[in-house]
Amino acid sequence: MAGTDQQLKYPLPVLCVERFFSCSLLSFPTLWWVGVVMCDIEDVYEESSEGEEDVEEDELRFSSDEETKSTSAGAVCRQPPSYHSLSADTISKKMFDIVDEVNVVFQLPTPYVRLLLIACKWDKEKLLERYYAGDQEVLFREAHVVPQRRQQSQTDSTTLQVRTQSTAACGAAALPGQEFICDICMLAYIFDAMCGLECGHYFCQECWDSYLKVMVMCEGRSQSIQCPASHCSIVVDEATVLRLLRKPEVRKKYQLLITSSFVQDHPHLRWCPAPGCSHAVLCTNADLQPVVCECGHSFCFKCCEEPHEPVLCNYLTRWKKKCDDDSETSNWIHVNTKECPKCRATIEKNGGCNHMVCSTCRCEYCWVCLGPWAPHGASWYNCNRYNEKESKDARNLQAQSRAALDRYLFYCNRYMNHMKSLQMEHKLYEMAHSKMQELQAMNVSWIEAQFVKKAVDVLCQCRQVLMYSYCFAFYLKKNNHTFIFEDNQGDLEMATECLSEYLERDITEDTLSNMKTMVQDKTKYCEMRCRAVLEHVYEGYDNDFWEFTE
Amino acid sequence: MAGSALKRLLAEYKQLTLNSPEGIVAGPKSEENFFEWEALITGPEDCAFEGGVFVTELIFPTDYPLSPPKMKFVSEVFHPNVYPDGRVCISILHTPGDDPLGYETAAERWSPVQSIEKILLSVVSMLAEPNDESGANIDACKMWRDDRSQFNAVAQKLVRKSLGL
Repeated sequence: MAGTDQQLKYPLPVLCVERFFSCSLLSFPTLWWVGVVMCDIEDVYEESSEGEEDVEEDELRFSSDEETKSTSAGAVCRQPPSYHSLSADTISKKMFDIVDEVNVVFQLPTPYVRLLLIACKWDKEKLLERYYAGDQEVLFREAHVVPQRRQQSQTDSTTLQVRTQSTAACGAAALPGQEFICDICMLAYIFDAMCGLECGHYFCQECWDSYLKVMVMCEGRSQSIQCPASHCSIVVDEATVLRLLRKPEVRKKYQLLITSSFVQDHPHLRWCPAPGCSHAVLCTNADLQPVVCECGHSFCFKCCEEPHEPVLCNYLTRWKKKCDDDSETSNWIHVNTKECPKCRATIEKNGGCNHMVCSTCRCEYCWVCLGPWAPHGASWYNCNRYNEKESKDARNLQAQSRAALDRYLFYCNRYMNHMKSLQMEHKLYEMAHSKMQELQAMNVSWIEAQFVKKAVDVLCQCRQVLMYSYCFAFYLKKNNHTFIFEDNQGDLEMATECLSEYLERDITEDTLSNMKTMVQDKTKYCEMRCRAVLEHVYEGYDNDFWEFTE
Repeated sequence: MAGSALKRLLAEYKQLTLNSPEGIVAGPKSEENFFEWEALITGPEDCAFEGGVFVTELIFPTDYPLSPPKMKFVSEVFHPNVYPDGRVCISILHTPGDDPLGYETAAERWSPVQSIEKILLSVVSMLAEPNDESGANIDACKMWRDDRSQFNAVAQKLVRKSLGL
């Protein structure tokens, strides 16, 4: 079989370093132990708060260029996604940094540049390219910086102040010092007291203030506030909004909205989906591998769902929809019904004899052999025609459609099993906690007892990977590589269940050292197998091993 | 807020009485409440509603003109863009951002520089040229599209009713 020699690529780990480590430590005298605890306490602390360490590590990786590939175990070394989380303040700083970077080249007013960047989805290269290669007028129009029919092309570098040059909409009569009627409140004002944008629609400051306030507070808009004039699509830029808004709380809300729309528009930024977390994560090479926010929440950067390695986001959504739609229903159908041999309508027999008449196509057939009823004659209650050709064909057809349902139920049940076990996660951690306390009562040090927590961590991780590996497998077409995948998956599943069982066992003083070794071995093994499953899947994605159904 | 709305409504009232467009009469129902108006609209020539005088009601929000008023026919009207309960469905009366049917661009909708006069004029042109793509009254829409003569007959009956005949 092609599977066997391929499998050697992911050799099963034979030894565990930790095994030696734990055995040797146990044989040391207790006094020596105290010393170790005292001096290593800091290291241990760092190890226990793993989430934080991860982030720091990744930030380093991010800053020290993408070349720093981690060269850990395994033949295929997939580059982990480089990312780091940003707090609310750093997000707006990031935004201004991008604007400034572009502005070094453009030398335009900052609000303009920001609008241009928004139009290009914050892609600097694309903007620069369009600015120099394409039609600038079109670009400016798309960004809603200049009106549709603008006469003279002007890129003056003054800030967006009230302009005295008249434009079509304002009329040539508007000169400084003259009275002018605000179209919103219909009161006359000295022209100097009025404000307008590039488009030349002028309104009094009071109307501007209340208009912007409604837009910001009631409609929650920031980048898309347009000039109040009808049929005018010019966007009111940030500087003007902040100048015209009077109330500080409205300004504050506006600035918040600006930041959040920056995160939404930027393709490499995502809000952390954890409730109450105000961080965003910046990731430039998003992959299936999850990212971890500073708050400790890990999620898939692409779809913001919980980590779902190894299945792809689009298949996950399809799978979830399928499960929501029909998992229970199809179970019931599977158990209680048969299909009409002619029109495939699903039929439940709720009483009566074996002579069935399909209510949809009026086909008459036998419930037992599924063949046509006519040859049965008057034998209503028993059927001796089970082996006739017609009935066999009918049953074969039925078997095919049932097989599809069976296949779905197979994957669905396993997926659900792991999901249910995962939902018990908090119970597991509670159990681990009490077990660790028990151990400490048996004169086992705190550090030494940490292996229980580590085991639970790994157990949960494995369950998650297993769970999603079933939706991955559901959409997979069979080929040689799926055999390897299934072997890997099966092996991981067995190991995971075994680890889970070990954790359930009671630990007494006699079994302690033995148990600890067993648990640690299994933990290490599960970790390795989990990685093997994922690496194989990733390798498949890279080399197009996988063919998907539909 | 309400102060500036009142000022604006007064200004518009003044303008409408001095210089009102043909076929339109509008004003507050009573001097005490400037936020509820009544408007009479004459059915434009050469359309099914020719000759009818329709009573409508305009209710203004306190943040007018930042939000659009609500408009409703008091007389019975059978029209593709008027809901059976009399509410008018035209883009100018929708705030940008809320588009129940997804047919309108932001530019077609309400903006603070629109006025009562513009609303009423749009309603007049709506009577003359119904828009069957975003119907409010589906029956009227269907009849207008498929059986124009019956639609005209129904409209004429309502025109006579509006005149008290």
